[in-house]
Amino acid sequence: MIANEKSAEGKSMSIKRDAAEKRELSFKDEVCIGCGICEQICPMDAIELGPIGAIVKEKVDTSKININEDDCVLCGMCSVVCPVEAIDFTIDSKPIKEIEDYPRLIKSITPEIENCIYCGACDIACPRDAIKVIRELPERAKLVTGEIELDKDTCVSCRICEEMCPADAIHLEMQTPTSSSPEIASDIIVDKDACVYCGICKRVCPVDAIKVICKICPYGEYEIEEAEIKGDLIIDEDLCINCGWCQEICPKDVIKVEKPFEGELIIDQDDCQRCGICIEVCPCNVLSFPLSESGEIADELYKDEKYCIYCGACQNICPVSAIEVRRTGLNVTPTKSKAWQKAIESLKLPEGRSKAK
Amino acid sequence: MAYKLVVYKELCHGCGNCVVACPVNASKSTEIAGGKGPQEDVGQILIVEDGTIELKDLSECNNCATCIKSCPVNAIAPEEV
Repeated sequence: MIANEKSAEGKSMSIKRDAAEKRELSFKDEVCIGCGICEQICPMDAIELGPIGAIVKEKVDTSKININEDDCVLCGMCSVVCPVEAIDFTIDSKPIKEIEDYPRLIKSITPEIENCIYCGACDIACPRDAIKVIRELPERAKLVTGEIELDKDTCVSCRICEEMCPADAIHLEMQTPTSSSPEIASDIIVDKDACVYCGICKRVCPVDAIKVICKICPYGEYEIEEAEIKGDLIIDEDLCINCGWCQEICPKDVIKVEKPFEGELIIDQDDCQRCGICIEVCPCNVLSFPLSESGEIADELYKDEKYCIYCGACQNICPVSAIEVRRTGLNVTPTKSKAWQKAIESLKLPEGRSKAK
Repeated sequence: MAYKLVVYKELCHGCGNCVVACPVNASKSTEIAGGKGPQEDVGQILIVEDGTIELKDLSECNNCATCIKSCPVNAIAPEEV
């Protein structure tokens, strides 16, 4: 028998076998969310979930899973069901996800960029930092029209206009007066690219040295350029876990997300001890404690299943078995193999680690 | 690569933070959940005895690391067995 060969790089690892077929599995620790689906499906019990609680609390620095190379048969099931592409599997250098005979999870993120207003809400909400919104704003000077005139002879350099200007468009060059140059300011500068002709400076000037006319109202907006905001939405599909935060938070319905699993997340609020480890472990920010008064214990663990991918990480970590993740639907492409069908179907069984214990 | 809790008694101050922070302990006794030390053996994972921490029953420990986080002197750690 040809033995498997294991190599590790940092916290990631790969296992390969060169026989009639060359099979290789590589695990990327930085992508792994520690959900334990691979451990659940492995027919050889070759995968063991690490101390996920201590890892997310940064109390131990180790891989989120370990794969025993002597037990692993390089079947590729773990790779197929991993919801986050943390396990790559190739047969004769071809990724299993591109081989038609094998099933694959159906999951996707699709932006319709033409509707995007580049508000950046998805960028902020994404729990995995998988979305970047970059935008280019129009020049402010092109969106206003008007005139400002400052009579430097009348100006007494009081700096009131400088302090009051909401656009920071007025600047006085202050100086210590000398006998040869007995002024407190050497110059006063109006930045016409910054000025929005609001007229506040004119109204506060104690010596009426400033004249401002805003032309938008008398001339209408037709003289002004359309405010064009350009931008781009960059999605890192390797990091994306299809949680749906971007889809839910987008005010313009730009992003569509397809999730790999459907199901139900059940919390037993009586058993829950409010330790919060599930909140820390959840890769999708599904769980939270509502804000409570200082010194009070949170009423209950809050969940919103809109963001849930039913990965089961919370169920596995809960020390008091207060969370149950019930997968009811698996979005998988069909396969003819009965063994594979059975293995994938087994993910529906409510037999997570904590319940089995 | 199984991990389990290990305690370093020489570092422990006996504060009992871990005893009341442990969610499994708390689920077993309202006294522990309320922040008071346990008065009797209810199958706790951790307990303070004679001023230092004692690991009692690890069978229900799920490595959530709440005790480790609550320890002010790093006297508890997950270790490979």
